[in-house]
Amino acid sequence: MNFFAVALQAGTSPDINFPLILPEMIVCGVAVLVMFLDAFMRRSQRWVTGGLSLLGLAAGAAATIWLWTRGAGSLGTFNGMIVLDEIRLSFTLVVIFVSALTVLLSVVWVEGEHLPAGEFHSLLLFATSGMMLMASGGDLVIIFLGLEILSIATYVMCGFRRTDLRSNESSLKYFILGSFSSAFLLYGIALVYGATATVRGSGVVAGTTNIAQIGERVMAGDIMYPALLFAGAAFMLVGFGFKIATAPFHVWTPDVYEGAPTPVTAFMAAGPKAAGFASFLRVFIFGFPFVGAVASASSATNVHDAWLHALAILAIITMSVGNVAAIVQNNVKRMLAYSSIAHAGYALVGFVAAGAATDATQRADALAAVAFYMLTYAVMNLGAFAVVTLIARQNDRRTEVEDYNGIGFRAPALSFTLSIFLLSLLGMPLTAGFIGKVAVFASALNVGSSAPAASSLYTILVVIGVLNTAISAYYYLRLIIVMFFRERTTEWAVPRIPASMALVLVITILGVFYLGLFPGRVLDAFKRKPASGAVTQIAR
Amino acid sequence: MTELAINFPFALQGAPAPQVQGIDLSWYLALSAVLFTIGVVGVIIKRNVISMFMCIELMLNAVNLTFVAFASYFRDVTGQLFVFIVMTVAAAEAAVGLGIIIAIFRNRESLDVDDANILKL
Repeated sequence: MNFFAVALQAGTSPDINFPLILPEMIVCGVAVLVMFLDAFMRRSQRWVTGGLSLLGLAAGAAATIWLWTRGAGSLGTFNGMIVLDEIRLSFTLVVIFVSALTVLLSVVWVEGEHLPAGEFHSLLLFATSGMMLMASGGDLVIIFLGLEILSIATYVMCGFRRTDLRSNESSLKYFILGSFSSAFLLYGIALVYGATATVRGSGVVAGTTNIAQIGERVMAGDIMYPALLFAGAAFMLVGFGFKIATAPFHVWTPDVYEGAPTPVTAFMAAGPKAAGFASFLRVFIFGFPFVGAVASASSATNVHDAWLHALAILAIITMSVGNVAAIVQNNVKRMLAYSSIAHAGYALVGFVAAGAATDATQRADALAAVAFYMLTYAVMNLGAFAVVTLIARQNDRRTEVEDYNGIGFRAPALSFTLSIFLLSLLGMPLTAGFIGKVAVFASALNVGSSAPAASSLYTILVVIGVLNTAISAYYYLRLIIVMFFRERTTEWAVPRIPASMALVLVITILGVFYLGLFPGRVLDAFKRKPASGAVTQIAR
Repeated sequence: MTELAINFPFALQGAPAPQVQGIDLSWYLALSAVLFTIGVVGVIIKRNVISMFMCIELMLNAVNLTFVAFASYFRDVTGQLFVFIVMTVAAAEAAVGLGIIIAIFRNRESLDVDDANILKL
């Protein structure tokens, strides 16, 4: 954060390394380009913006992979504002994947609804660049900025069907509660900034918003106001809890997800949640780390214990509330919204494991498990929402469970793919959802076995997770039963599947089985540290 | 709050912080905490969208006050830079928020959040 201060005092050029933010720059640049092109293009050529967005996202993904394998000379730049590590890269790939599928989901939909395609795609790309910044921020200011870039773009996308009251309401609710939670997060950041001041010799060293520095000071017990640190961590927990929809802070989720246009709902359930997890993980695991039995660091150890236990309780509540509330829903989008809350709860189990891990390999395993979970959830969730979009028709008219009555053998392509996604969400073996849950729960059990003092906590977490999976069988299977074993009383025409939608379905089906049958490669890749020093720094 | 009011040596970079006699950091922090609380309570009890939005702005300004108070106390520029960023973001948020409010008003002619009940809460 003291970017200018350092540059001015030292009289040297500031620490700038553009290759390290290449993926973000590409996506942001393409977003601006799409916006300009859209202004000068005729309506009939609007598909160009979708194609351009896809190209931009592909270039962003390529740059990310290049960073991972070749490295960009250093593991951090802009005075620690941007970091390069495996969490950043794995989550960046997940959010780019989500956005690319959302573009494919929306190209035909946006034309059919007579909405401005270029605006939609540029907003989507801006949201993506925000999510990528959230994953790469090594400083609280970058995380806040990324979060706001994401949120502001998403508020607009929720209300994109301007004449539809449901869409208006969804975007209003998201806007009010989203900015409310941002204010909480921000107050937490302010308190942490004040709390982390230290005394060195006769002088006072100012507080910091750099996550690595916060972590160092917490480790050293070098905190001037421990009480403020606790308050700040609590406020930040609430702010992030809102963003990823954990249980006491989840009330906005079903309303917003139900009212938003279906492709936007698909995007919101997968992308912002993954990005939220990336920065939540980084801030809490590296900012308030495990300190061990250092005598001088009693207060700092407490802050780690406090958030770990709070998150464990949140995970239990989130899983249970999400699954139990999903049982009584009659709207498919609302049901999937509660299911997304429940899935955030499962991922929180991996988060708790990563926080409790005492050695680096265990922690890397747990972090990779959370990233992998987000990837599997993105794949199956986007697939399910693609089918829901097709069945809903124009204006999202048919999203009630009754609308799925007896469509099973009339539209076998749709109903069989939807069944596969629902079984994967449930966590059937051979599908991605199963491996995701296994990875997350296994990391919790591993941590529990090596920390005998509180091992029962992790066992309880896993047991509750498995019980919740059993509960969730009810509502996932119910939809399958409705599709195949119920009589249809009203007229129903089989929806036409456009090529882009077919591509989404093929990609997600392949993804579900690939991640379910051969998860090793992706899991290993997510654990790999990025190369450093392979390329000489270009812009020093 | 007593813990905050400790007096520590002010020998960072030259001159000591210009302080009004008897008003130290804890006063500013208490004020911003009160402002933040008023904002939170306002968002919860107000029924008009514009009022709720103003309460959110009040929360953001409470945060800004905290940052400025710490920054001036530490003689550090970090907090003040953060305030600029918060103000910019708040302006962008206001633009989008008012746009959303206008869109909903056109369709419904009401800004009372209790009327926003198509999607059950």
